[in-house]
Amino acid sequence: MPYLLRRLGFFLLTLWAALTLNFFIPRFMPGSPLQALRDRTHNKLSPAALEQMLTSYGFKPNENVLVQYVDYLKNMVTGQWGISIGATLGEPVTRIVRQALPWTLGLVGVTTVLAFLLGSLIGTVAGWRRGGRLDSLLPPAFVVTSALPYFWVGLLLILVFSVWTGGALPSDFNYDSGMQPAFTPAFVFSVASHALLPAATILITSIGGWILTMRNNMITTLAEDYVRMGRAKGLSDRRIMTAYAARNAMLPNLAGFAMSLGFVIAGAILVEYVFNYPGLGYLLYNAVQNTDYPLMQALFMLFTVAVLVAVLVCDIAIAILDPRSRERDRSGR
Amino acid sequence: MKPRRIMIAAVGLSVSLLAAACSGSTTSTSTSADNGSGTNAREGSSTDKASHKQGGSLTIANTQGQTWTCQFNPFNPAVNPVSLGFVYEPLVYVNLLQDQKETPMLASSYQWSADKTSIVFTMRQNVKWNDGQPFTADDVAYTFDTMKRVPATDLYSLWTGAGLRSVTAAGDKVTMTFDQAAGPYFFNFANQVGIVPKHIFSTGPAAAHPDTWDDRAPVGTGPYKVDPCSANNIQYVANPNYWQPGKPYLAKIQYPAYLDNGPANLDLGSGKAQWGSQFIPNIKALYLNKSKDNHTWSPPVTNVAIVPNLDPSHAATSKLPVRQAISLALDRQKIALIGEGGQQPVANQTGIVVPTFQKYYDQAAVAAAGYDKPNPDKAKSLMAGLGYTEANPLKLSIITITGYTDWDASLAVVKQQLKPIGIDLTVSDLAQQTFDDRLYNGNFDLAYYGQAGGPTPYYELRQMLYSKNSAPIGKPASFNYERYLNKDVDALFDKYPTADDAGQVDIIKQVGAAMMRDVPVIPTTESVNWFQYNTADIGGWPTESDPYAQPAAFNVPDVEQVLLHVYSKSAQN
Repeated sequence: MPYLLRRLGFFLLTLWAALTLNFFIPRFMPGSPLQALRDRTHNKLSPAALEQMLTSYGFKPNENVLVQYVDYLKNMVTGQWGISIGATLGEPVTRIVRQALPWTLGLVGVTTVLAFLLGSLIGTVAGWRRGGRLDSLLPPAFVVTSALPYFWVGLLLILVFSVWTGGALPSDFNYDSGMQPAFTPAFVFSVASHALLPAATILITSIGGWILTMRNNMITTLAEDYVRMGRAKGLSDRRIMTAYAARNAMLPNLAGFAMSLGFVIAGAILVEYVFNYPGLGYLLYNAVQNTDYPLMQALFMLFTVAVLVAVLVCDIAIAILDPRSRERDRSGR
Repeated sequence: MKPRRIMIAAVGLSVSLLAAACSGSTTSTSTSADNGSGTNAREGSSTDKASHKQGGSLTIANTQGQTWTCQFNPFNPAVNPVSLGFVYEPLVYVNLLQDQKETPMLASSYQWSADKTSIVFTMRQNVKWNDGQPFTADDVAYTFDTMKRVPATDLYSLWTGAGLRSVTAAGDKVTMTFDQAAGPYFFNFANQVGIVPKHIFSTGPAAAHPDTWDDRAPVGTGPYKVDPCSANNIQYVANPNYWQPGKPYLAKIQYPAYLDNGPANLDLGSGKAQWGSQFIPNIKALYLNKSKDNHTWSPPVTNVAIVPNLDPSHAATSKLPVRQAISLALDRQKIALIGEGGQQPVANQTGIVVPTFQKYYDQAAVAAAGYDKPNPDKAKSLMAGLGYTEANPLKLSIITITGYTDWDASLAVVKQQLKPIGIDLTVSDLAQQTFDDRLYNGNFDLAYYGQAGGPTPYYELRQMLYSKNSAPIGKPASFNYERYLNKDVDALFDKYPTADDAGQVDIIKQVGAAMMRDVPVIPTTESVNWFQYNTADIGGWPTESDPYAQPAAFNVPDVEQVLLHVYSKSAQN
């Protein structure tokens, strides 16, 4: 258990460091919340009124920085993330985040899992039949696509499937704005069709990495003695491929997968931006554009926490899956 | 822009004599009061006298860049464009495009005191809030008192800047008193402030925090109600008990959230959305040619200008000949054509936006001063007099805002035009916040910027040129970023509120003359109210010949006037 305790301690330390940076960095940026509000009110408010507005929105510019810092830490932990001062002036940050989060989880989360599963499957088969038709076709092709920038693939898909087809597939937004959110077939269809192109973009650009690592791991694993022994025992090819080779080859990839799950919440900013998909990534872009400090802070905090939690979960998973990590611990190294 | 524009006589006798250039479809009854003291606004409506059947719907395409928050608090400047005019109403509507023509809304009439330091509004009878409660003078007094109690809701600085001293209600009358003559602030307090219901805003969180309260189910007197609002779309349905019987004509208004101009422009081109309010590049191919029912008319309202730093610490730009040379060297037609795709008209050195404010514009004076056409030769000799030539140029930098691509294009043209007269211009694109910071604090040689305006040129010019709007370098100025300090011009602005109509026109002409004499700001193009409209099913739009309101959907409270005029053609059968 000391291993886990140490990981936990490390987690808390990084979290604190990240939160602290998150507090100070916006304060070193050009501009200030006061100026953001000045922009929002079209510069028509008197200075006194602006000051009052600032306090209304939860800022205490004249307070000691240390007090502000302690307040900030408290608020971050208790979920009191303040009120937006960006273009969504007056909207509680928690509400904004809650509105955008499902869209990002749905789009980026599902595609990340899908990319991992599909990529691992293709990689397994390709590695199993090394030099076969599949192996000489798919991995090289996807290595090329994974080197393409997100936004470029997105624009290309929009051109081909939306512009050239006269709008057969929608190229922006999360669902047809004429609809009310409800669990009706029409609404579900609208959501799915709007998600298709951005999902395809993420899939095309991220699947190559999984294929390549999985294929290479497979090839290394296939040379292991236990695989040879499986063959000697006369096990079926399928069983050797899945239960002996793929299962072991996947271990290193799992860590990477856990990490990438942590990054899901940050959204694929560029994809969401290109497709005007109102998820967290788009939100972050807007928050930075409009110098919406409370929203920016809450988003950065969420992103860091998500990655840190993912890493922690990954550590725990490795401790469970790989006895060696625990062994090392016991020997005191 | 067409070279000629029709204006409508809409004001009292003295004014319509001055606006003799007016012609065309002036079927409107002359309704509003002239600006002399002690007159009442009378009942009236604009040209659209015909009544229409109710029904049909309309979709607005106006890019927000974000989804809707579904807040409708009229004291929140970020959301009041979707609540003022739709749900909340002002006392009197003042039309900037028709020489301040007034349409009485919640106030049926008003009376200024002789010195214009107090005004008495008479409230309209039989108006109900959309929850059934009667509208009273108390609501009006409460609205203004809230703005005093919570300064952040005083979005036009009425209690601090305009000198508002008290607002009292008695019977159906509301009396407002001011520390000084408050004529120019009528536009703000009567036209821009939406009246809120006391019975809602005096209880619970609305009373405690009227500035940040969300107001998700707005109760107003206006023509529409919100039903329902989601992040992606606001649907407005007609208020069946609206005080103007038979109005509004359209049963539903859809206001989808557009995150980007691209899709909004596509929907406008295809006719899926009928009311557009943003820039469409290459508008002929992308919009006008797509349907014979697609039209555009974008009237100019303010200036986009090169703002030179006049503070002596900026040696080059504080020299008059340099500023004169820049203004003379500019071929504004080219800037408008290349930078703005020909969709913004050219500005002039007086800073008076024409044709919107034609009656304040003195063409003869502009010609006499030599600012009626570009004169690069004179500019060259002015610069040569300071020792600068094309081979030995004066190096200047101009700051602008990143992402304003039309401004970048305009500045590229400016740079080209200044080169032969001996000015080497560097354009530096800054993030909005950095730009603001440097503009406000006077940390620039030249800046590219546009001010907000008002119903006469006085508003924009006063913001730009009044010395009280300035500040020393290093301190934020409120509007006078170039730091123009001129006692004579200040005196002109001080005289304006108490002057009569002809006097006000004369004062603005004198300020225009000062603009040409001192060149404190160098206007290039005129900012317009972007407006595209589809006439396949919807009629009653504001047009160049009947500009009964500023046409863009983001204009509050003008949007209400448009909503009260538009009707569905298919619903008429």
